Amino acid sequence: MARPRWLVATGLLAPTGLWLGLFFLAPLALVVQFSFATRDTGVARAVLPWTTQAYATAMDPAFLPIFGRTLAYACATTALCLLLGFPLAWFIARHGGRYRTALLAAVLVPFWSSYLARIYAWKALLDGEGLVNTLLGHVGLDREGGFLLTHGAVVLGLTYGFLPFMVLPLYVACERFDHRLVEASHDLGHGRASTFLRVVLPGVAPGVLAGSLLVLVPSAGDFVTPRLLGGVDQSTFGSVIDDQFRGGNNWPLGSAMAVLLLVLVALVLVLRGKRGEDVL
Amino acid sequence: MTEQNLRIARLWDTGNARVTRRAVLRSTAFFALAATGACGVGSAPSTTSAPPASKVKATNARAEPRLNFYNWTDYIADDTLSGFTEASGVEVTYDNFSTNDEMEAKIASGAAGYDLVVPSDNFLRRFLRSGLLSPLDHDLLPNLGNLERRFTEADYDPGNQYSVPWAWGTTGLAYSASQLGEVTGFSAYDLAAAQGRATILDEARDGLAVGLLMLGHDPNTTDEGQLAEAVTALLELKKKLGQITSDVIEPLTSGQVPLAQAYSGDAFQARDTNPDVAYAIPTEGGLSYVDLLCVPKDAPHAENAHRFIDYVLEPEVGAALANAIRYGSPNEAAKPFIEPELLDDPLVYPSAEQLAKLPFTKDLGADVEARYADAWTRVKTG
Repeated sequence: MARPRWLVATGLLAPTGLWLGLFFLAPLALVVQFSFATRDTGVARAVLPWTTQAYATAMDPAFLPIFGRTLAYACATTALCLLLGFPLAWFIARHGGRYRTALLAAVLVPFWSSYLARIYAWKALLDGEGLVNTLLGHVGLDREGGFLLTHGAVVLGLTYGFLPFMVLPLYVACERFDHRLVEASHDLGHGRASTFLRVVLPGVAPGVLAGSLLVLVPSAGDFVTPRLLGGVDQSTFGSVIDDQFRGGNNWPLGSAMAVLLLVLVALVLVLRGKRGEDVL
Repeated sequence: MTEQNLRIARLWDTGNARVTRRAVLRSTAFFALAATGACGVGSAPSTTSAPPASKVKATNARAEPRLNFYNWTDYIADDTLSGFTEASGVEVTYDNFSTNDEMEAKIASGAAGYDLVVPSDNFLRRFLRSGLLSPLDHDLLPNLGNLERRFTEADYDPGNQYSVPWAWGTTGLAYSASQLGEVTGFSAYDLAAAQGRATILDEARDGLAVGLLMLGHDPNTTDEGQLAEAVTALLELKKKLGQITSDVIEPLTSGQVPLAQAYSGDAFQARDTNPDVAYAIPTEGGLSYVDLLCVPKDAPHAENAHRFIDYVLEPEVGAALANAIRYGSPNEAAKPFIEPELLDDPLVYPSAEQLAKLPFTKDLGADVEARYADAWTRVKTG
């Protein structure tokens, strides 16, 4: 006896739908609701009447530098991840052989421990008397007070945290890439650089795009890294949002900023175009 | 959820009462809730309707010799609870929290079942604005007279209508004596050894107090101009700072942070592990903070909570508590029983002259408090 298609579809989608509805859409709806509420200095934090005041505040030009910094961090992180991730993914896909799975697993191993714990480890490493500064001191490249609380420390932390998100889609793209195209390119007289630019890069472009999005989006919203590795001048959009909630300062403003960030990210995803959809 | 339900329940209770603007707001809130199916936004409850303290009668909603006490970790003497049980026959269930936020989450949800909680004065203000606390029945607190006058007239709760102080401390400067030498005031932020590593607290009122005090202004000012000046001063100070953070104990202990605006309690905790950590009340002044015993509105054993408060106000009990936790005791009558070396420590019991420069953070009303919060956002993002 054949079951009706709709019944099968409902049965298959219900658990995910319920999960997403409860734990994704409902909280999101609450955030949107908060963003149009009035700030309360009691425990309620957000009360009636409805207002768009929070959006007016969030659009304040005073937040522009923060926004620019966030974007710069996210772009620098993405570029660094690409630079580090591509050779790694290429190597695992092309030369990994029977160790491929083990190598991929090694990329994921850091995920087994808490991100917070690992960032605290970086805190110790980057401190004035930490390992990094001491080692660099031997070659005269150390910095007074260590590298903690600098832009570099934040980008390093973000790159460290999000690198696996870049490596995995790149690996898939490199794996799918037909290596005979490289040989053909060489046969037809292209040099190494030219082959890389005209053959390899277009071939793995979907992976590059997918990896970049997977790194760019979360690093733009991250607040833990700038808070722990950054100092007074390293606050980002994410950490400003976090401030509005944590100190109980202004939930409506925090929510409005979160909604704006969400809209921006959604725009990026829409603009990623057809090629990105192959992988992501 | 419970608080929301209460509010919605009140909506029906009003019956044929006049349709006030507040009631309209409340029903709007109800429909907003019903429409979204979520419980996010409601109207702000009024807090002005509380009856005067003397008229309140505290009773146990559940007639059983129990008390549910929710206090900070490591913030009690070994024999406080057992002594109370012995004296009153009331069994105490003792739970701990480590941040005000953690405690607020439980109390604001309304279903926690605690009879006695210990918020800091800044959270007391928040609780009062939302009407979460029940007024105290002074008939059950004959020992209230033991309190020092400073704590009966304090701005955060004049006349102890809602709260009785548990212990108090100051907000000043914690520093590494070996790295900075002796520190007396905010000029220490200019010291070469502190550059790029010093911190101030990540709390709007505490952080802005640094700017206000450096300029010689009152940290409880309502003057917009003075607040703006403080923001400018703090933006200038930021160039010399490492971080804006309230987590100072660990970095002070390790010596990573040589200078930090800190609560005296945190500073002393860091000093216990690393004797190099010192604490100073700045010559420019500072703030006092106090943790307060309060009875939540839905406390099932409110009468027992009052009995406990009165027990702690007894001179010997208060002194034993103060000797154990090493914080300032608000209990004047307990002073003869407090260890002399503790009483003589000017960092725990500052002189009258210093106390004049250590006001409590005053409740400046929702509008001004919001202005402080906005000013703080400008400091942090600027």
